[in-house]
Amino acid sequence: MNAEEAMQMFKEAGYEAWISEREAGVKNKAKKKSLWVKVDKEKIREAVEIMIENAEEYPHFSIISASDEGDNVELNYHFTFGYGKLLEEFVISLKVSLPKNALRIKSITPIIPAAILSEREIREMVGVEFDELPDKRHMFLTKDFPDGVYPWRRDETAPKETNKLYETWKEGGK
Amino acid sequence: MKYEVPIGPIHPALKEPIMLRFTLEGERIVDVDVIASQNHRGIEWIGMNRNNPVQSIYLAERICGICNFCHPSCLVMAVEEIAGIESPERAEYIRVIQGELERIHSHLLWAGVAAHELGFDSLLHYVWVVREKVMDILELVNGNRVTKAIIMYGGVRRDIKEEHISKIKEMLEYYKQAFSKLAKLFLEDKTIKMRTREIGILPYEEAIKLATVGPTTRASGVKKDVRQDMPYFAYPDFEVKAITPDMLTGETIGDTYDRIVVRLLEVKQSIEIIEQALENMPKGDILAEPKIIKVINQIKKSEGEAVGRYEAPRGEDIHYVKLREGFEYLYAWKVRAPTYINILSWRPMLLDMQIADIPIVAASIDPCISCTNRVIVVKGTEEKILTAEELHKLSVQKTRRLRR
Repeated sequence: MNAEEAMQMFKEAGYEAWISEREAGVKNKAKKKSLWVKVDKEKIREAVEIMIENAEEYPHFSIISASDEGDNVELNYHFTFGYGKLLEEFVISLKVSLPKNALRIKSITPIIPAAILSEREIREMVGVEFDELPDKRHMFLTKDFPDGVYPWRRDETAPKETNKLYETWKEGGK
Repeated sequence: MKYEVPIGPIHPALKEPIMLRFTLEGERIVDVDVIASQNHRGIEWIGMNRNNPVQSIYLAERICGICNFCHPSCLVMAVEEIAGIESPERAEYIRVIQGELERIHSHLLWAGVAAHELGFDSLLHYVWVVREKVMDILELVNGNRVTKAIIMYGGVRRDIKEEHISKIKEMLEYYKQAFSKLAKLFLEDKTIKMRTREIGILPYEEAIKLATVGPTTRASGVKKDVRQDMPYFAYPDFEVKAITPDMLTGETIGDTYDRIVVRLLEVKQSIEIIEQALENMPKGDILAEPKIIKVINQIKKSEGEAVGRYEAPRGEDIHYVKLREGFEYLYAWKVRAPTYINILSWRPMLLDMQIADIPIVAASIDPCISCTNRVIVVKGTEEKILTAEELHKLSVQKTRRLRR
């Protein structure tokens, strides 16, 4: 399955999908392709299952990234497909938008076990609650990190008491 | 009877701050829990809240001292894609050479650590003497052994000159000769074989399911290598092939020994890539836009998102970047270093092994936890965490005390 076929597959299943490209190489030109798919938050498991069922190999999970979009938090589930063949691999990113008053989504860990660390990280950094996530401990932050403070958010929940070391440098060091 | 043995947060066998909690039945490991939250420097936060995108290149360099070319490359790739910055051809070749020099030094560093974990310290010293050769070249070409500050949006900051090329060629010859000796020492030694064969096996299915990357996954027979699958920079010119242990030994077991085989073969592969790159390096500029302020402005005007992928010595490195027009910093930045995903493979590797196998098996994925910014002080049953500020204060106090 190449990037175009994957895009077709998602479009047939009713998802909005598009491809971005970038050229690499000097003498041999190769195209690096990324497929982006918009997914409703109720359908995240379904979208992952479409990939598992239709791809020749098990989807390679990379990471979940997050960005604060004002009233929403956007999660990107990055996967890669088609390794093992020269120049054939591409990235699939599933984009999910969650409203800030309902930061809840189903965990994909039961079907993609590698996602557990990333879901734990997003949970503590952005404050998204993952239903059915088997392990809800902190991943990177210490266990005494205050509740309700989320470092990757850009609103009132972002950490405030930081930066002091850096501030003293700026003032010429006290 | 079951009992628990904690290894870490700081332990002589694992020199970086991570904690492993083992449940044992006699000598046999029946459960492994990884507790990673021993340190977090908030690098992504700094990139999103404090640094401009050019400063973030040097910040990314400090994610890991060993892979100090991989992380900035990954960031640069993602930003270049969003802002539509193209690099000159010569710069793309220099980036490849820099990346491969780094792979050689990183794999040799690991080989030394692996020898040390087995208690074979004379081999550690021999390997690190051999490694000095590539460190000297890095210093000669970049002016620095680590954190080389070489990559920039739209190219590289320093050229590889004519006088460097002869020295690099000399180094390649040296490594070609050293390779056969290293291969003999690591692959034919009876003790190393006993300690690593059939130890810490990661089966093919587990390697795929747990999404492992780099030499860890290739040693289990998964032919996955970003340089082959989705090449970047000038890599499409080289037609890199993913290395699996059966290329040398004829079979793939997925144990610690196979991970040694893969890394050794990759050193050889890197030598070949550098040779080919030096031969075909195009002439011309090395930087598309030398004025940094112009580059910052161009990035500031850009909007979009992209994923940068890079095959670091430890495996695939991924940076997701989102830029927003008029926003001073990176709007969103997510770094996924290879060890992040590879630590999941410790569990299947270590189950049913013995306590004494922990150091070499844990080291076999070449973990890179990076350095700490917090200290936990335990007094009796109470724990107190010192912040960077308090730590800094303590350090200043100590200096003053010593000066008296």
